[in-house]
Amino acid sequence: MSDEYDNNKTYQAQSSETMGGSAPASPDMDYVRPAEIPDQELYHGHSFITKWVFCQDAKVIGVQYFLTAVFTGVVGLILSWLMRLQLGFPGAAGFMTAEHYYQFVTMHGMIMVVYFLTALFLGGFGNYLIPLMVGARDMVFPYVNMISFWMFFIAVAVLMASFFVPGGPTGAGWTLYPPQTILPGTPGAGMGILLMLVSLSLFVIGFTMGGLNYLITILQARTRGMTLMRMPLTVWGIFTATVLAMLAFPALLVSAIMMTLDKILGTSFFMPTIIQAGEVLDYGGGSPILFQHLFWFFGHPEVYIVALPAFGIVSDLISVHSRKNIFGYRMMVWAIVGIGALSFFVWAHHMYVSGMNPWFGFFFATTTLIIAVPTAMKVYNWILTLWRGNIRLNTVMLWCLGFIVTFVNGGITGIFLGNVSVDVPLSDTYFVIAHFHMVMGIAPLMVIMGAVYHWFPLVSGKFLDEKLGKWHFWFTFLGAYSIYFPMHYLGFIGVPRRYFEMYDSPYMTSAVGMNEFISMAAFIVGAAQFILIYNIIKTLKVGKKAGHNPWKANSLEWLTSTVPPEHGNFGERLPVVHRWPYDFSVPGAKEDYITQTTPPSEVVHTEVEKT
Amino acid sequence: MSIIKKLFGALTQKPWEENQVAIDSTHSGRTFNLSNQMSAVIIIFGVSTAIFSLIFTGYLYSLPPEQDTTFILKTSLVWINTVILIFVTFFFNKISSDLKKNYTNKIKKNLIYVGGLSYLFLFLQLILWYQLMKSGHFVDTNTYFSSFYIFTALHGIHLLGGLFFWGKVSSRIFKLDEKEYCEEEKNINALALYWFFLFIVWVVFFAIVFIYNDAVIAWCKSLIA
Repeated sequence: MSDEYDNNKTYQAQSSETMGGSAPASPDMDYVRPAEIPDQELYHGHSFITKWVFCQDAKVIGVQYFLTAVFTGVVGLILSWLMRLQLGFPGAAGFMTAEHYYQFVTMHGMIMVVYFLTALFLGGFGNYLIPLMVGARDMVFPYVNMISFWMFFIAVAVLMASFFVPGGPTGAGWTLYPPQTILPGTPGAGMGILLMLVSLSLFVIGFTMGGLNYLITILQARTRGMTLMRMPLTVWGIFTATVLAMLAFPALLVSAIMMTLDKILGTSFFMPTIIQAGEVLDYGGGSPILFQHLFWFFGHPEVYIVALPAFGIVSDLISVHSRKNIFGYRMMVWAIVGIGALSFFVWAHHMYVSGMNPWFGFFFATTTLIIAVPTAMKVYNWILTLWRGNIRLNTVMLWCLGFIVTFVNGGITGIFLGNVSVDVPLSDTYFVIAHFHMVMGIAPLMVIMGAVYHWFPLVSGKFLDEKLGKWHFWFTFLGAYSIYFPMHYLGFIGVPRRYFEMYDSPYMTSAVGMNEFISMAAFIVGAAQFILIYNIIKTLKVGKKAGHNPWKANSLEWLTSTVPPEHGNFGERLPVVHRWPYDFSVPGAKEDYITQTTPPSEVVHTEVEKT
Repeated sequence: MSIIKKLFGALTQKPWEENQVAIDSTHSGRTFNLSNQMSAVIIIFGVSTAIFSLIFTGYLYSLPPEQDTTFILKTSLVWINTVILIFVTFFFNKISSDLKKNYTNKIKKNLIYVGGLSYLFLFLQLILWYQLMKSGHFVDTNTYFSSFYIFTALHGIHLLGGLFFWGKVSSRIFKLDEKEYCEEEKNINALALYWFFLFIVWVVFFAIVFIYNDAVIAWCKSLIA
């Protein structure tokens, strides 16, 4: 039996039949009993260490996740510069050997996908926003939440340590395909791969602790009146992505454990019989294809683990900055849930060239194309939210528009690659690189940037500089297209990915100039990201004060007792929610926004339900 | 069914409509009538089920053709350990139901049984590993034994995790008066469910090894042929 609704109350909230279909417009209609969820006992830190280092406040943990993820992102960015230096100007970096190049490719991929994007969206935004948006004082298990961050931190430290061990980090490609990953001859096949596997295992264990908190806080610790369908889409995105992660990360954990055992104990989970330099190795009976299945059972949902929070966040940003309710809220929720469910049935489209049964390929091509339907629904709804909205063309909105364009671009090339007959010739070419960087690199990054400009006033109490923000946007947007548009062409002419050097091939000479151009653009786009860091430092020193609810938004995170919110978020009493978070530009209302805590009696002459 | 209705039924609501607004404002903020501890155990179920399912899949995917699949079941310790797990689950459920009925006099004793039997289970698992290794069946012998070792290791780690929380709850119970045991009811119910889950995982493992034997594999091959 659920206690979801309080049926014994005398408040106006009887069913529509007993009310004659309309809510009474009297002051007592506002009365709602205070928080149903018992108030949480919080541990308040008293020293610098307990307040800022081993802190149990989800907001501080969110910032810790954010900063650690950004550090890994900067490392990933530097690695990409080094790769582009080699590709655009071979030999310019004198120290770089083929082994180094493969190591940089591998570490760049793994860092950006797992340690940067996943950690930033779920660990960073998840921790900061979930309790605030659902009206909770903190996560339900704050201590476990703190451990979750420190596990992530140790995972990052272990990963970074692999740069400094004999042989360096693994160079097996971010997919870590066996058998070559753990065999001599592959860069980092000794300590490098072991540290990578240990780090991934720690990451998964740490994330499970965090995910446990996100799910239970969202399901069980919302404030009074906050139904599931009154939650902002940001929370829906993070919630569904967390469910995906909780089911998909075990595949990464299991494959990491099995590969570790293959490496150190000589088991053969993924290792077939191998003859190396004329000598038969002790391995035998295992299947490298099993690893590919396990890896992509994690790997494809991982795309949506990054994308779904981005979908949710961008929906909220577009709604707030175009002063319109989100178009098709229910559709948006269904699409998020639908995409999440479908994402577990498409993994083998990454394995079309592994020699699979053609019927198997047919099945996965079909499911892959089906997933385009809810995704397209979301794109239409974002555009229809903007349609006839009172659009504020500020930095946040620019990033949102940039996201929509980029995501559509990457999504369309995804439809190409979802078809087996198109994928096979394009497999392992730069077309694939261009596709996935557009769809799960640049597009989510644009949402991250938009979210940073949007929520920075909440975190710090100050606005980021708009002028610098616009420079940052245009450098990144135009630069990203300068990098990835030409890569599609490179893919069509057959330039393969993961090649250290390719200029002896006469048929690829046309790629030389293009590679130089791409590399120059990559250097500029990378450098442009430091505009944001400068902007943050400048704002913290002399930025314009933002005050309460500077964007005139409706959701609870802007309605805290203090800005930035203190530990416990909402002062003495938790807020009571009276409506969804998208009541913008409601006819008859005094302002163009009605916050979630505004009681019905304050908006009696409005046409809320017709928005 | 109720969980599905609760989760997916909510998705059909129209939160902007006047009638729905009136109903929603009485919402307590909770989706399920469960304690946070119980919710945590259920989520851990989900994650652990995914882990064990993938290990079972790996086992079925790479079973060596020449291996006697029922080899493990011929060792008596596997059967003894299964019986021990049944007893542990029984005692934990007994504690849980006693707390509901307010019969508090046997709770301490039963908690000791649970812990003692669980440690005995782990000890016998180690003995089983020792016996296997002594007979020349190591973790790297083939994927059949590799899967067995990795499954039992992960199952044992799950049990150790449970024993950590069992220790915390027990130490609190031993400090309380009998009348105050109900303070720990949520934790004990969650742990009882956790132990039941570990038992189910063990039974599924047993069933897979038992059912997916040479005769069944031969029958499957004949079907394909």
